Amino acid sequence: MGQERFADVVERFTQGYGGGAAPSPEVLRQWQEELDRQHKRMTNLHRMMTDPVEPRTGQTPRQEIYKKNKSRLYRYASTRTHRTPLLFVPNLGISRPYIFDLLPNGSFVEHMTREGFDFYMLDWGVFGPEDNDLTFEDCVVKILPRMAQKVLDSSGASELSVLGYCMGAPLSASFLGAYPEVPVKNFINMAGPIDFSKIGLFGLWLDERYFDVHRFVDTLGAVPADLVKAGFKLLKPTMDMSTNLNLWWNLWNDKYVEGFSALNRWANEYVAFPGEFFRQWVGDFYQQNKLYKGELVFGGRPVKLSNIRAPLFVVGAKEDYIAPPECVRALMDAVSSEDKQYIELPGGHISLIAGRGAALHCWPKVSEWLAPRS
Amino acid sequence: MADNAAPNQLFDLWRKQFEEGAAAWSRMTAPAPPAMSDPTAFWRPVLNQGLEQWARLFAQTPVSPDLAAQWKQFLDQWIDAWSRALGQAMNTEAYAKMMGEHLNQWLVSNAPMKKAMDQQIDSTLQSLNMASRTQLTSVAKQIVELEERLERMEDGIHAILKRLDTKEPT
Repeated sequence: MGQERFADVVERFTQGYGGGAAPSPEVLRQWQEELDRQHKRMTNLHRMMTDPVEPRTGQTPRQEIYKKNKSRLYRYASTRTHRTPLLFVPNLGISRPYIFDLLPNGSFVEHMTREGFDFYMLDWGVFGPEDNDLTFEDCVVKILPRMAQKVLDSSGASELSVLGYCMGAPLSASFLGAYPEVPVKNFINMAGPIDFSKIGLFGLWLDERYFDVHRFVDTLGAVPADLVKAGFKLLKPTMDMSTNLNLWWNLWNDKYVEGFSALNRWANEYVAFPGEFFRQWVGDFYQQNKLYKGELVFGGRPVKLSNIRAPLFVVGAKEDYIAPPECVRALMDAVSSEDKQYIELPGGHISLIAGRGAALHCWPKVSEWLAPRS
Repeated sequence: MADNAAPNQLFDLWRKQFEEGAAAWSRMTAPAPPAMSDPTAFWRPVLNQGLEQWARLFAQTPVSPDLAAQWKQFLDQWIDAWSRALGQAMNTEAYAKMMGEHLNQWLVSNAPMKKAMDQQIDSTLQSLNMASRTQLTSVAKQIVELEERLERMEDGIHAILKRLDTKEPT
């Protein structure tokens, strides 16, 4: 057989081989299914473009307990079968905390409250130019102690558990390291960087040889949300392509589309950093690794991770490129806790806290570890 | 297989373009040879696998909708390969240095422009007898400080009340 024309290939692709066997009923059924899916894809795409439905995030009932400037402390409704309340400390800046209560039947908050935990969440808020003087130290010295006290006052308990996620973990660890007298019964670090010498790409990009944080903050005053977004997009440039491809593939699935809309809204809603906070965060943590080295002094108090004696649970994610597992795991060797456990789960930074994988693999492990200790 | 000659030729051409593109891109981002490994190593097996899959699919009679799944799989692998190649290129000192230099240049050129613009906006608002952004920010800062003071007072009162409570039984 000689060289065939491309038109012949197309002809064969669309018609099959002339005189060949007719398609089997199974193939016809598959085609029918594929065409149905294609039709649903087009319908959902049309709806997304012309009549986008605002995803209803943050459905778990909650009550505002306390507010300080932009920060809010919320208590979520639960059966409260465990005596020790749990204070959840998320990241400051970058993104909004509704990812933790994304959708009914797909929410970390909902899982924890269903398991009977008295769940409190600290929402750092969205900062404006008037907050540019707020530092990491202020958060540790002025905000976190007050939030912890409000949790104790509101729950009537004598001790509390603290769960830090992402940047919330070094914030909480600094707080516990500086205030060993705070009655913390358990401490959980979920994907929170501790040893910044192992932080990966961000560590390299923010290295003091290449990144002048002082010039950056002095010029811009704060880190605008768009720049935060650019930084995170650059970390994984193919992420949007892969997200859109997966969306197209699953666009026929209404449930997927609902989850995608909620997650996509969150993933594109970035929050600015207060200038001085960013200066200290990058300077002391990324560039000097002062938390891990024990060189931080906040409010006149030395911040020593060895001051943490409470039972500790550390969760790392295997494909986390924001806080690689080795940099999260470092907390295990830095604390004085005797009861401590580390687990490493498949997935990335966000897949610990949102999505089907989180609900199956991560949240039950956290609640199972915490329940007997609460 | 002679039947697949035409698509194979197309894919060969495509592969060649990628190879050249990736090589040029790697030369551009990593001038120091030891810092950069060969990014083509990632995508070559992926493309080869893709080609084989396509060759198999074109030989199918009749074509099943499985074609779309294979295409999706191929694209996933392609994106993954590029992600790894880009990740490796960006994880170099040369890239970090280049990015830092670009950012510094941007800040240096941006600073006087931002200052001039802020001044211009402030003077325009002043001439319109309106509060400037700086003034509003300073008022907001004062409110934040006031809230902090009130909280310190509240803490003080709580501490006194607590002391009084503990004293009462005696």
